[in-house]
Amino acid sequence: MRRFSWFNATSLTLGFAFLYLPMVILVIYSFNASKLVTVWAGFSTRWYVELFQDQEFLDAAWVTVRVAVFSSTIATVLGTMAASVLVRAGRFRGRTLFSGMIYAPLVMPEVITGLSLLLLFIGIGLDRGIFTIVLAHTTFSMCYVSVVVSSRLATFDRSLEEAALDLGCSPFQAFRLVTLPIIAPAVISGWLLAFTLSLDDLVIASFTTGPSATTLPIKIFSAVRLGVSPQINALSTIMIAIVAVGVITASLITKRAAVTQARDEQAAVRATG
Amino acid sequence: MSQTVFAPWENPEEKPLIEFRNVTKRFGSFTAIDDLSLDIYAREFFALLGPSGCGKTTMMRMLAGFENATEGQILLSGQNIGPIPPNRRAVNMMFQSYALFPHLSVWENIAFGLKRESKDKEAISARVEEMLRLTRLTKFAKRKPHQISGGQRQRVALARSLAKAPKLLLLDEPLGALDRKLREETQFELMDIQEKTGTTFVIVTHDQEEAMTVASRVAVMDEGKLIQVATPDVIYEAPNSVYVADFIGDVNLIEGRGTTEGERIRLDWAEGQPPIWATPRGPVDTDRALTFAIRPEKVSIAKDKPEDRRNLLEGEVIDIAYLGNISTYHVKIAGGQIIKAQTANTRRLANRDITWEDRVWLSFTETSGVLLEH
Ligand SMILES: Nc1ncnc2c1ncn2[C@@H]1O[C@H](COP(=O)(O)OP(=O)(O)O)[C@@H](O)[C@H]1O
Ligand SMILES: [Mg+2]
Repeated sequence: MRRFSWFNATSLTLGFAFLYLPMVILVIYSFNASKLVTVWAGFSTRWYVELFQDQEFLDAAWVTVRVAVFSSTIATVLGTMAASVLVRAGRFRGRTLFSGMIYAPLVMPEVITGLSLLLLFIGIGLDRGIFTIVLAHTTFSMCYVSVVVSSRLATFDRSLEEAALDLGCSPFQAFRLVTLPIIAPAVISGWLLAFTLSLDDLVIASFTTGPSATTLPIKIFSAVRLGVSPQINALSTIMIAIVAVGVITASLITKRAAVTQARDEQAAVRATG
Repeated sequence: MSQTVFAPWENPEEKPLIEFRNVTKRFGSFTAIDDLSLDIYAREFFALLGPSGCGKTTMMRMLAGFENATEGQILLSGQNIGPIPPNRRAVNMMFQSYALFPHLSVWENIAFGLKRESKDKEAISARVEEMLRLTRLTKFAKRKPHQISGGQRQRVALARSLAKAPKLLLLDEPLGALDRKLREETQFELMDIQEKTGTTFVIVTHDQEEAMTVASRVAVMDEGKLIQVATPDVIYEAPNSVYVADFIGDVNLIEGRGTTEGERIRLDWAEGQPPIWATPRGPVDTDRALTFAIRPEKVSIAKDKPEDRRNLLEGEVIDIAYLGNISTYHVKIAGGQIIKAQTANTRRLANRDITWEDRVWLSFTETSGVLLEH
């Protein structure tokens, strides 16, 4: 049907170039043998080797990973709970307000989220460090998890839960044994999303961190201000790889789950008529 | 009263298993169940029959514990079940949608309820095997719900709800997905299971034939109210209203004005036509408009005027529906009304003498129809 046209090909190329050219250049230069960022001097992995010998970077990486794991896990638990309430509870007083308040951080400028969290932490006298970054990341990634999980729950057949109750489950057991295994793909992709969001956050982390905890984005940002080094390119390439793997896995899980769900729904709907 | 006939509802000593006491259920301002009282006895196969939206599922959901009565009480073995959550009721439900767990195999689906009872492994396993045998699913134990056919899924749902040997089993349109032959087989299977296990069944259906086949008693519902609760033969032979007569099976309805003449009622239904004579089963209020209801199979059709019948109607055959074993003749009588007469096809098609546009006589006895007040 759709024929090849130069116009389409050109717009596609331009669009993708616009999106990915900067990253491609970064990746290429991370394998540059020269210390000068703009001069190509042959292929080398020395910057990666150096990177893994730099204790400061390793510390920052470790902080980042811990923050991402903890915050995405907490966000997944809270986000799933919020989604269940929103989808299940039907219409209750203040439902619109409640759901609005959960989704508001999605559109809130990060600077404002960061600043308000900073003020809160100062206000209650919390020492800033890993713990505060985890809290901060949980607050904003939780809404993403809850969006992903509620879109899955919206099509979840409630009679499955009722069947579980009917067969003797407590409401919590019904959730754990029936609902959770069925919506697991959505929960996992929510977790991956939260994880990658936490990995690449700079603004909120800068506001809520203390001297003891430097995350990779913060580290990169401050290093770049002293000049772009090939090491940073190498580090960024690694982060691109991790984020790409996370996002691709999440979308694959979602896609596979959609197929399973369509199949199960076909099985659940009775062949009437 | 005979000892062998199962009719606990006629025995005033008998305690019902389920009692609906003036139950009303409202969704917002909409009344789904309207001040309904009903007793269902242990070991009954009780059918709820009615058009879509009349509140059948709502009754089931109240029994299972997913809805609470807005007013009134529901008692199970004399105990008010209102405050008891669904997981603590000795009631299991087979869902209209089956609601099989898609992530579990057939075996695990059936074992699901048993595992919640903290029974030991062997007991659970033995029970599941028994259920698989009963529903003839042994071969499919390891499959997932999406790997079996609609009829098999329906049997898994049945096995799962039976596994816990509930006091009361609720079946919400359990056979809707099956084709006719499988449905009839399963109906007998259900009756068989019910006999073997002694469980009380409440079945929802909108298929009146199904209700007539399986049920010990049938409740005909309309808009959240019970119209008639009786055994299938009473529902069929002696409906208490035009609604029930019309809902169950095929029926001819003739409206008219009645006068009592001794034992009998004389129904004048059209100017210049001989009246219809009927012997009512109970007192009839002749001040009200009456409808005479008679089943097509109770109306005889003949080309020659039968001399021995009291009720005779003359008309013209306008249509014949040939159904293999029976034929239904549509006969236009005075005033343009169509009356259906049904005969068994004991002779070959070619040998029958009544055909289109023939003048025929319809006849029936005084006791073969019922008089219904409006
Ligand atoms: N949760 C609900 N909220 C509002 N109305 C409902 C709800 N459940 C059922 N109803 C209404 O109650 C009536 C009876 O429903 P139901 O018991 O499902 O009928 P059926 O006899 O077809 O099973 C219907 O008109 C339906 O729209
Ligand atoms: Mg229904």
